[in-house]
Amino acid sequence: MRFTTTFVATLAAVSCLGFVGAASGYHTRFVADNCNYAAPTPSSHITRAGSTTVALRARWEGYQWAGGCWNDNDVDDSPGDPPGTAGTGGEGGDCSGFTFKVWREPEDTSSAAFHQWGRLRFVHGPYTALSFKNGVGAPNATKAKSALITMDALASDGHIGLVYVTNADGSDQIIEAKGEAYGTNVWTRTYRGSSSYSGVQRLGWSS
Amino acid sequence: MRSRPRSMPARPPLPPLLAVVLGVLSGALLVALVGAPISRSDGPDNARAASSVEVTHVPPLLTAPGETVELAYDAYCLPAETDDDLPCHATGSVHARTGGQGAFIEIPLRRDRFAPESRLVAILPERIARSPLGFEYYAVIADPATGATTTLPSGGPSSPQRSIPLGKPIEVELGHHSFGATRRADARVAWAHWGDGPFDAGLEQGRNLPPIGGASFDVASEGTVVVLDEANRRALRFEPGQSRPSAIPLDISGTIADLALAPERLYVLETVGGRGHEGALRAFTASGRPLSLARLPERAYRVRIGPDRAPVLLSQGSSQWVRAELPRTGSVARLRGGRAGRPLPDGREVVVLRTGDEIRVALLSPGGTARTWRIRSATSVAEVQLAEPLGSRLVLVARLYTDTRDEFLVLVLGPTGVVERFTVPAREWAETAPLSRFRLAGSSLYQLGSMPEGLFVDRYDLEVK
Repeated sequence: MRFTTTFVATLAAVSCLGFVGAASGYHTRFVADNCNYAAPTPSSHITRAGSTTVALRARWEGYQWAGGCWNDNDVDDSPGDPPGTAGTGGEGGDCSGFTFKVWREPEDTSSAAFHQWGRLRFVHGPYTALSFKNGVGAPNATKAKSALITMDALASDGHIGLVYVTNADGSDQIIEAKGEAYGTNVWTRTYRGSSSYSGVQRLGWSS
Repeated sequence: MRSRPRSMPARPPLPPLLAVVLGVLSGALLVALVGAPISRSDGPDNARAASSVEVTHVPPLLTAPGETVELAYDAYCLPAETDDDLPCHATGSVHARTGGQGAFIEIPLRRDRFAPESRLVAILPERIARSPLGFEYYAVIADPATGATTTLPSGGPSSPQRSIPLGKPIEVELGHHSFGATRRADARVAWAHWGDGPFDAGLEQGRNLPPIGGASFDVASEGTVVVLDEANRRALRFEPGQSRPSAIPLDISGTIADLALAPERLYVLETVGGRGHEGALRAFTASGRPLSLARLPERAYRVRIGPDRAPVLLSQGSSQWVRAELPRTGSVARLRGGRAGRPLPDGREVVVLRTGDEIRVALLSPGGTARTWRIRSATSVAEVQLAEPLGSRLVLVARLYTDTRDEFLVLVLGPTGVVERFTVPAREWAETAPLSRFRLAGSSLYQLGSMPEGLFVDRYDLEVK
């Protein structure tokens, strides 16, 4: 009798918590249905051109705060995630997770090795925009803003974006995971001149 | 190692623990099974995007006398069938001609061994590069592995890039900039607190999203200021002499957008879209009634008013100013009439090129080059925010920066050089559309700024003699 009572009470409590959570917080099964946790593939080198292609494949694939998994169908498969919730399981990276994956960094912050992460590998990495801004981690370092080129980054306390190309008027095309309403794409920004942004680089490019 | 307290049983009774474990597992399973259908994802389409080759290029819009012209392209291959970033062996050609007429000649692009592996270059023959008429060109670049091809600009020979000779420019040496000596505004003509009240301007909502709000503004000739309050999906109209704005509801997306005013019209350039429609141009009446919606096949990041009171857009991919025309069927606009400079309502055109810490500007009359300036700075130059004629002069606003400071430099340029020069603080707590911080109306310069309390528009009156 005591066993049955305890079982039913626990079942009810967990179910209620689950349903209440589900009803009040939108979630998608994108990560659950598509993403994996496979080991990264080590690489002997990385190039800026290679990282650019990694970044370009993420265009139109959405944004997920604390996320890091996307496919390549040019559609955000989980549009409209609540922007303040990390666990909604949606498609896309956030700004720092996107940068981590494009820069092909290891999760060990003391290592500057090169790790290829598949698009569908769910990984965010250990860095925030602020830690990138400060050059935290063995693969990262600060860099003068006037010297930034393709696949270097501009980081503020709360955001980071990668330089794609500079426009004729001196603004930059930045490839970035901007936010849920924006997704991931290439936009023209004026981060370079703004004093709230600092220059950051990935170390060890072979070209 | 800590010892277990004597009062605690050596092992908890098994049945209650088992019941809790089974309850948790069963509850979780029930939630998973029954809760699954509430997911909004119907299952992603994991089909790959088609193969493509992406190309970037910074056009030499203005060439200095005697300059060697090397056209540089960066090509990135995106084959559909691979996860890896395999080397891209793109090949292609530039097609160039002098002036605006005659046949294009083909110049093969070659790899630059001293540049990133994506780089393809072609040096133009001197007879083309140094033509007093300037030159036109376009490039066709392909990935032989997939057959994917890109033409840049997308219009190819019907809408080529155009480069204009500076001729004998008016030289301006700025020297080293001293930060901190900024000018006070003559008037604050608009102010709104952050919020969603009737007189407030909104900040876009989102975790990890930096402050974004008051994405753009424009000033009508009589001094009325209109601020795009995109987060609240409206514009705020500040009439001269009125302390509080009136709201104009707008059917917009609520993300970063640019704004341009024409008589009885209000244009909003949306910058967020999806593949195949990279944003949209929306037209409204002065009261906010929607008139048209044209989705754009290429991203644009500036909208201004050109000849015939029609909107002109600055294309991100080609750096060309274009007109957006709605097709007879469908809602995706055709971008036509690519030009190197911004077409002005009076038929003139302003061409701007920032190269390194140098700014080149040309004010073209409908018949040809009217006047050019070449401005060199010993302090780093970021973007040129504004370049517009004021009578026979030209007002230019550019950002100067170091790694920790930035200010906007305002120059009024005349036939002998700098007529007036001052700097204004950046004051950009909240992000806006990239090149929307300044407007010129009458003989006054207006600046859209922001701080943690709210946004404002300041007016700087320029010397007119």
